[in-house]
Amino acid sequence: MSPTKTKKKTKAKTPTTTGRKVKRTTNHVGRVTRNRRVSKNGSAHKKGGSTRRRRATAQSMAAAQRDISVSEFFAKNRHLLGFDNPRKALLTTVKEAVDNSLDACEEAGIVPEVWVHIEQMGNGRYKVGVQDNGPGILKKQIPLIFGKLLYGSKFHRLRMSRGQQGIGISAAGMYGMLTTGKPVKIVSKISIRKPAHYYEIQIDTKKNKPEILNGRGDGIDIPSGEKGMKIIRKQGIEWVGHYDAEEGVTAKEVRSGTRVTIELEARYQRGRGSVDEFLQQAALANPHVTLHYEDPEGNQNNYVRTTTTLPPEPREIKPHPYGVELGRLITMLKDSDASTLSQFLTESFSRVSSAMARRICGGAKLSTRARVGRIGRGEADALYQSIQNTKLSAPSTDCVVPIGDELLLQALAQVLPGEFYTAATRPPAVYRGNPFQIEVGLAYGGGSTVQKVTQEALEELLGETDSRTLRQFLITTFNGLGPDGAEKILQESSMGTRQSPGRLKTKEIVQLHSAMKNVNLDEGQSMQVLRYANRVPLQFQHAACSITQAVLKTNWRSYGLSQSRGSLPSGPVSVMVHVASVWVPFTSESKEAVANYPEIQKELRLGLQAVGRKLGMYMRRRQRVKQQGERRNIFLRYLGEVATAVSTINRTNRDDLYNRLLRVAEKRTAEADVKLDSRGKVILDNESEFGDNVLIVDSEPHLSA
Amino acid sequence: MAKRARSRSTNTGNGNSRLKVRDKRTLGQLRNLADGVVTAANRSRDPYVDIPTRSLSNVKYSPRKRIIEMGKNTNRRQLFNLSQAKSYMQTMLVGSGCKRLIEQGKTLSIRGLYYMLKHQIEGTKENTFEEQGECDTVIEDTEVLLDSLREELHLYADKRGDMVGNITLIDSGDEIDCSRMGSGGYAIPSIVEPEVIQFDRKKTTAKFVLHVEKGTVWQRFNEDKFWKKHNCILTHGAGQPPRGVRRLLNRLHSELKLPIYCVLDNDPWGYYIYSVIKQGSINLAFESKRMAIPEAKYLGLRSVDYSRCDLSSSVTIGLTDNDRKRAKQIASYAWFEKKKPWQREIQMMLDNGFKLEVEALISKDISYVTETYVPERLRKRDWLD
Repeated sequence: MSPTKTKKKTKAKTPTTTGRKVKRTTNHVGRVTRNRRVSKNGSAHKKGGSTRRRRATAQSMAAAQRDISVSEFFAKNRHLLGFDNPRKALLTTVKEAVDNSLDACEEAGIVPEVWVHIEQMGNGRYKVGVQDNGPGILKKQIPLIFGKLLYGSKFHRLRMSRGQQGIGISAAGMYGMLTTGKPVKIVSKISIRKPAHYYEIQIDTKKNKPEILNGRGDGIDIPSGEKGMKIIRKQGIEWVGHYDAEEGVTAKEVRSGTRVTIELEARYQRGRGSVDEFLQQAALANPHVTLHYEDPEGNQNNYVRTTTTLPPEPREIKPHPYGVELGRLITMLKDSDASTLSQFLTESFSRVSSAMARRICGGAKLSTRARVGRIGRGEADALYQSIQNTKLSAPSTDCVVPIGDELLLQALAQVLPGEFYTAATRPPAVYRGNPFQIEVGLAYGGGSTVQKVTQEALEELLGETDSRTLRQFLITTFNGLGPDGAEKILQESSMGTRQSPGRLKTKEIVQLHSAMKNVNLDEGQSMQVLRYANRVPLQFQHAACSITQAVLKTNWRSYGLSQSRGSLPSGPVSVMVHVASVWVPFTSESKEAVANYPEIQKELRLGLQAVGRKLGMYMRRRQRVKQQGERRNIFLRYLGEVATAVSTINRTNRDDLYNRLLRVAEKRTAEADVKLDSRGKVILDNESEFGDNVLIVDSEPHLSA
Repeated sequence: MAKRARSRSTNTGNGNSRLKVRDKRTLGQLRNLADGVVTAANRSRDPYVDIPTRSLSNVKYSPRKRIIEMGKNTNRRQLFNLSQAKSYMQTMLVGSGCKRLIEQGKTLSIRGLYYMLKHQIEGTKENTFEEQGECDTVIEDTEVLLDSLREELHLYADKRGDMVGNITLIDSGDEIDCSRMGSGGYAIPSIVEPEVIQFDRKKTTAKFVLHVEKGTVWQRFNEDKFWKKHNCILTHGAGQPPRGVRRLLNRLHSELKLPIYCVLDNDPWGYYIYSVIKQGSINLAFESKRMAIPEAKYLGLRSVDYSRCDLSSSVTIGLTDNDRKRAKQIASYAWFEKKKPWQREIQMMLDNGFKLEVEALISKDISYVTETYVPERLRKRDWLD
């Protein structure tokens, strides 16, 4: 609680000792309270000639009390935005830029193509360039979008989009500026005919205002064509002028788009929570996007789109009355141009017909024709209560656009190796008046990332890591590899858990690599949870996230996975959960975890259970097949003994009897192979028995399995 | 399955030729069993055996004969049934083992047979038998299945139980005077059939048999030369008496007409030992005819002895829930159900809430049990029937 202006006024009236020089202090909160106590209970102190020095006066404090700019606040609290450490800063910067690019492209109906380029500029400094083929940004908007926090198109509307607040990219720019002193460089082009604009922007953190550095505060125009490209290149910007050339066709020119280049203090490291992982996961949830990624080592990674159809455009909706708090209602009343209360209600909210408006007004004992401007605080409160008590239909949910089962399955099968895939989309639901929808995908089987890594990649990873021990390196670098798995690998390779990963000899690396390939990790592996919110992968704060909690609370044991209490199930299984909503409730501005609303929790649970059931069916079938094999084995095992025993007693030909018994055994287990399932149906070996949205890949069993 | 009737004469005769007759019958039974498998295989059917059930549900108390008899229920054991495949295989193995023993004219302990048959199944790490308990039940199954006694299969159990007293017997041709057995006594062999043991009626003067529960008590009686004073035979069965001891008691009773008195602990376990001696056991109901002694008497310890003998509470052992359950179970057995004194006895133990071991009497005096307690019971003819 910081002192407010009203307090300041009352303070000014209290008698104070004067004539002392006041020291400015930022930590004044505690002092104010103490001061106030003194002035209220003045009797507690000797008045006048007290020897006790007063630390500050109302006036002196008033001098220190001033506006805090949003930029200043976030510059100090950059962890709130995901700039806790250099490694995360790099990721957040890329993430914000990519999110914005994709939002812009989709809104303009352009099939997105995004270029990401990270380059090391010196020790601990990286240059991040992200370009899209979006509609471009108008000249006058560029400085505001990139140079002012909390400026954007997405905050004031209810529409499903990746970005929400308008903080992200400008915060990234600010972070770059604070750590390297370099401005944000933006090139934007809105048409192939018009020249591109080039801006170098800094944020005035005190005023939260953009400052344009080039072209005497006006930016510069860059002509199209080769001449312009030269100018751009001179500024250290890698503008991509043409799409990748398809075979036999000349490369098409990029007609419009925006490229933002930020230089920042960062650290590049692969593995969990890295830029590489983010882009891979982003590609998974956005099958219509092509991503080009050049990492600091110059490796070019391309994630090519699997579909050219854009997801349907999400509709913007008006807020639902249930989701509006009293304060917001009052503001809305104040801002409304509607003349009557009825008009206000029907126009500002969704799902309020004039009949409903009449009912709400009736409940609040207000006239439907009451002037909106005349509604006072008390009346607004009555109106608010009346809204809560009126039964309204849930908000329309067609404004939420899920990825869709089919695309989800395709994407899962492409990115995660496995043998069984399933997906489930829950019907849309509502929390606090905001529609949302849950999608869950699940992949089972296949090797983990540990088994796919090449030896060269492993060497690089070992060189980059800052883990102190090998065990820690394995756990933090590879997704889904639990401590048990790491121990197994280290045991197989006969290396100490506490060995330093940076100092391995080539021979030892070869040893480690072969151990990683050969160890059966199915048991030691724990479930990999891929979390998405509005198609954006969430990589941090798993524990705080509603999605992880829902996964933990689900009883996976009944679906054939092993799971110890309060932990993720183990096995070669990945779950992908997508929360789509017009307003995803994040726990913080860095958008790393979804908040725990009971409605969301419930839908997550149901979605996870839906894929769990399908997995359970698959697991049971696998189990059955295994059991029948075992069954036959058991019979075969004892047949020999029985035949020997019988021939000892009555001297029949042992082998003859054995063969006859063998035939009986085969007949018996063949019958068992087509045994009926619990519902009395003959079990067929195909996907249809699982219902929709299941994909089974017949894969060769893993060597070590 | 074969008829249950068993042709057997208790008369002595040429032991050797009779052995062969008996073995021929057993071998025939074994061959029937094996042929059944071959027939089933030839018809591509599941081979199975029907084994008479050895449980309470399949025993009947015959009030006329006053023994427990086996019912007609059988359990089917199939080769092509996951839970039964192994025990089916084991049954066949035991059959083949017995066949070899009979052919070679040798006998083995059941532990010996276990070792003979135990081996790793080809191509696996599994053993035919993991422990002797597994083998023992299969042997019992085979006995009822083939309607052959253990000795007919050339098997015997580990011997347990000792005997001492005024009796002379001939064991495999050696004359044994049980009154000259020192402190150790004569160890009762597992097989005490007339072919092995014959009684010397002339040199036997004993008037009754006192059977005690375990070796320690037996030792007490032997040291005090109880059998000399009272002219009797003293036996013990180390807890639940094995078949050798029960068969010997049965022969002493039926051939020498000696009454049998039991001194057992006052607990459900002791009651059941008495029940087994008297009516036969549930598990081996098929042997009751030659094992049970319906005239056996229960001398003690009785629940009333706590107050009657003025015992201190420190020698009592509290009843566990299991004990109570077992006591109620025993009380409901058909052969106890109609006996009011027994119902009173069991009820009294339950009311007392504790059990008493025979050793509890030692707290009165070291030789109280041999010099006072048992003589007094015998004199007063105070026992339970």
